[in-house]
Amino acid sequence: MSFFGLSLMGKSLDAFQYALNATSDNIANVNTPGASRQIVDLSQAPAIVGSPFYAAHGPGTSGDGVTVSDLQRIHADSYDSLFRGASASQNFFSVQQNQLNALQGSLGEPNGGINTQYTAFQTAINQLVAQAGGGSSTSSRANVLAQAQALTQALNQASNTITMQKAQVFQQAGAIVTKANGVLDQIAALNQQIRASTAVGDNPNTFKDQRDQLIDQLSQYISTQTSIQPDGSTLVTVNGQALVNDAVVYHLAQPAIGTAADGTQTFKVDFASNPPAAANAPGVPLGSGQLAGFADLYNNKLTTYGTQLDNFASSLANEVNRVTQAGYDQNGIAGQALFQPIVASLPITAGNIKVGIANPAQLPAALASTAAGTLVVPLNSANNKVDTSAQINNNQTLANPPAAAGTTGTLTVTVDGAAQTFAYSSVAGGNADTIDNFISNFNGAHLGVSASFDVPSQRVVFARDPANTDLTHRAAQGANPTTPGFTIAELPAPTTGAGILAAVGAAGIDSVPQSSANAFGASDNGAANALLKIFSANVGVPALQTVSATAVAAPGINTIALPAGPPPVNNVRVGDVLTIDAGTANQENVVVSAININGAGVESITATFANAHIAAGFSVSSAQTQSLGQYYGQTVTQIGLDAQTAITGTQTQTNLTKNIDQVRQSIDGINIDEETQNLIKYQNAYQAAARTINVLDSLLNTVVNSLGIVH
Amino acid sequence: MRIATSTIYNNQSASIDDLVSQQQQYGATLSSGKQVNVPSDDPTQIAQDLSVRTAIAQGNQTSSNVQSISAELTTVDSALSSLSSVMQKARSLAVQGASNALSPAQQQAIANQVDGLLQQAIGIANTQYAGKYVFAGTANPQQKPLLTSGQPVSGVTFNGNLNAQSQQLNNGQTIQTSLTIQQAFNYQSTDGSPDVFQTLITLRDTLSSGAVVDASAAAINKPSTSLIGTPVAPATSSLLSSANFATPLQTDSTGSASFTIASGLDPNGTTFTFTPASTIQNVVTAINAQTATTGVSATFDNHAQKLILTGAGSFQVKDAPSPGATNAGNLVEVFGVQPQADVVSNLSRQIGDLDTALAGVVNSRSVLGGNIQTITSIGDATDSQVVNNTKVQSGIEDADIAKVISQFSQTQTALQAAYGTTTRLEGKTLFDYLP
Repeated sequence: MSFFGLSLMGKSLDAFQYALNATSDNIANVNTPGASRQIVDLSQAPAIVGSPFYAAHGPGTSGDGVTVSDLQRIHADSYDSLFRGASASQNFFSVQQNQLNALQGSLGEPNGGINTQYTAFQTAINQLVAQAGGGSSTSSRANVLAQAQALTQALNQASNTITMQKAQVFQQAGAIVTKANGVLDQIAALNQQIRASTAVGDNPNTFKDQRDQLIDQLSQYISTQTSIQPDGSTLVTVNGQALVNDAVVYHLAQPAIGTAADGTQTFKVDFASNPPAAANAPGVPLGSGQLAGFADLYNNKLTTYGTQLDNFASSLANEVNRVTQAGYDQNGIAGQALFQPIVASLPITAGNIKVGIANPAQLPAALASTAAGTLVVPLNSANNKVDTSAQINNNQTLANPPAAAGTTGTLTVTVDGAAQTFAYSSVAGGNADTIDNFISNFNGAHLGVSASFDVPSQRVVFARDPANTDLTHRAAQGANPTTPGFTIAELPAPTTGAGILAAVGAAGIDSVPQSSANAFGASDNGAANALLKIFSANVGVPALQTVSATAVAAPGINTIALPAGPPPVNNVRVGDVLTIDAGTANQENVVVSAININGAGVESITATFANAHIAAGFSVSSAQTQSLGQYYGQTVTQIGLDAQTAITGTQTQTNLTKNIDQVRQSIDGINIDEETQNLIKYQNAYQAAARTINVLDSLLNTVVNSLGIVH
Repeated sequence: MRIATSTIYNNQSASIDDLVSQQQQYGATLSSGKQVNVPSDDPTQIAQDLSVRTAIAQGNQTSSNVQSISAELTTVDSALSSLSSVMQKARSLAVQGASNALSPAQQQAIANQVDGLLQQAIGIANTQYAGKYVFAGTANPQQKPLLTSGQPVSGVTFNGNLNAQSQQLNNGQTIQTSLTIQQAFNYQSTDGSPDVFQTLITLRDTLSSGAVVDASAAAINKPSTSLIGTPVAPATSSLLSSANFATPLQTDSTGSASFTIASGLDPNGTTFTFTPASTIQNVVTAINAQTATTGVSATFDNHAQKLILTGAGSFQVKDAPSPGATNAGNLVEVFGVQPQADVVSNLSRQIGDLDTALAGVVNSRSVLGGNIQTITSIGDATDSQVVNNTKVQSGIEDADIAKVISQFSQTQTALQAAYGTTTRLEGKTLFDYLP
């Protein structure tokens, strides 16, 4: 019997006290984010060996009670990286979901928005076409203008929404960068404390919890990788570049708009440096997380939608203006562009478009046409109707039939500043041997003027062809402005005979400009009809009608330069389909594989050509692959798909994050029931130890006080 | 498996959040009745939805255009119906007047009635629909297209054109919305027959003043040829020997041809002699040179290819031998005029003209009826397209209410269960049982 037992039990009281403290700490932190549970490692105290007392009086070395060997932090580092990856994705999608939902709401499709206004605009034109007097009705003209106004406002508003969203994204990303930098600072500070504590043998569990919690938080902002260093500190990297190395922090710079290799403007985040990173520096690869979500929104979603809306607006304006500029208004004055830019020096975009006509009478609804003119006369001889499929030479049903030998020559048709020629021959088998053949071959030449035969009045009618959807005339027109009038001339003078114009009753229009004065009838609604046709026709989007500044020497991959300045060409993107060299034998469609942008717009495009185009100056225009409505529908579909992806992604990644967190929490999380059990366990042990001390004390008391007194 | 206490709370609150948001989504669907409220609700269908909406709006507009065209066609049809009753009335007046037993006063009374019919016909020609003159062609004059000259009306001028008014529907179809004045009133007819106005004027003048017109019964040129000497020269320059006459000239024994015009003023008649080298213009000039003697004047209608002789009263035209000839030529037949021109024969000819014009009106009305049928069927087709498109739109947009209601109540049940579970799970811990 000795005091040894008391000391042994005293140690166990200490140990259980320690364990109870740890349990209390766990219970206290049951709701603390990031807190890992801590368990106390109890172990047998090292035995006192080599004591002759024990060796002499018993079987040998006996135990020395219990001791706390470690306060262990239960934490599964391997699950951290899984959790952070999922959390980064969750945040990537969740910021997109918020932004795209807001965008969808602002666009108002399908119940309101651009499509509704676009439809109303079409309906107004449809009404104008059908109105009495072929568009002479002021109310239906005014309605077209009002709907055009509403359409431009809807476009302006949508463009404005996208611009605002881009600004918001920029601003929010800036706030995130500031937060991320703050987190990086805290991680570095904790690293320093952990390293210092570890060095003196301390257990910096709380610091480690805080640090891991901060890295979790950082993963919401940016995709990072971490590795625990031997000194206890954490190396935080993004794509191999250090963000925090021990106590050193590499801050992120505020977001900036940089220039990608092909010249497009991109949103990027660089490392903070002095001087700041160059505009064409690649930026930090953001991976996932909110910052990457914002970057993706800005670069691949909002910018794309904006470009598509701009393309829609510019193409709409281009097609509509072609027609209105080719038409005449109610007063017989040459039409002007219906859609005009708000800032005249800039090309038309969704944000830079307005209605350029205020007075309903100025809305061009009529086309230059010889239908009601006085210069074209019936081609039949009196009391005869002409069989349009019959030979015209020496045909007495014509007032002025060519002689049996026929007539040959060249018509020069001038419209939109482009003079094109049509060589004709009325010799049997020639392209103008019958009225039908003349009309079909004349129209087949895509001269910008079309011919038709009006049976009741027995006239060949020539009309300005406003839309020229076949691109051939547009290619010839190039950058010339569209004009309503046209001229047809026997130029040079007929080789044989009196010429075809005399034969078809149109000698009067030879070299006489067809203008409102001598051509169209007041009720002509050709322009309104042409406007209506735009909506169902395939058009080129974006509006592009230019010529190549360089030649294509040989088929294959080539880069061709485009002339700078108007017409606007800055919206061509990779993947767009262009029609090359329209109206020639070499006409082909190519897919743009690369672009190069300078300040004025697209400077050059690269594509694979099937043909050589030896001389520069061949036409380059957008291929007419879809209607405007389809193009806009695709844009809305894209927005819907992106929003849906973001919504689904958020849901999936939220569930994944939750599951991973659940697994992680099942390892390192605090469970109150478990802690209560520990509490009871350690309490009982403590009570037992205390009772043992009591017993030992009583034993000692017996030994010391109650054994017989030596008298 | 260990479950951390916070996990229990987190899981419960997350599932409650999920259920509440589901419930809200179903609630939104139920309150709008639409399952597509934003593009992301159904991105694969949204493009079709937008185009269907456009198609419906266009269909409705087309339908209203069709209605307006239909109303215009009906206006034209009722104008033609009035016109045919005007002409039938004129015909019965002509029959009534074609009697030598009537006194001049009675004839004048009939003439006055015919003049009233003429005014009605002119009014019909100036019929308007929605501010547009339906028979003016595409010229769309701002004032009445048919203007009259003289008092009483002695002639009409037309300011429109002969291009039929038509409208294009947005499906590209063009439909004729009215008739030309040629189709309706035989104006500037292709076969040279007189128009309604000229017929009525002639009828009235014949009745009122006894003025007699003797015109070629039909165009005097040969079909598929014309009485044109050289391409741009006037028709009157054609030689009488031209092969383009329907009836070739036969000369008398002197190689010339003559006819005599006799009238009340000139009972013995005046003889006009022409050689094969004479022109139509020579004929007209020669007759007009003797108007003071014969009371008969001549004109040549270039367009109708007819010779028109007008006398103050009855007159006769007959072939005569040229001076020194033993036989007569066939000039009367060449020009297709009647040998005897008097009020009765005039009136019977004008009854024929009225019948021709009336037949034209009947024909035109049948063309119009065809158009009304066409436009009605286009209207029906458009309406059924709109109905179909509305169905498609409804299929894309409209929610299956029964299904959503059942989903809504399922979610609600689940939510209630989640609330219950949460309060029970979170209500108890081992701590509750500590002494």
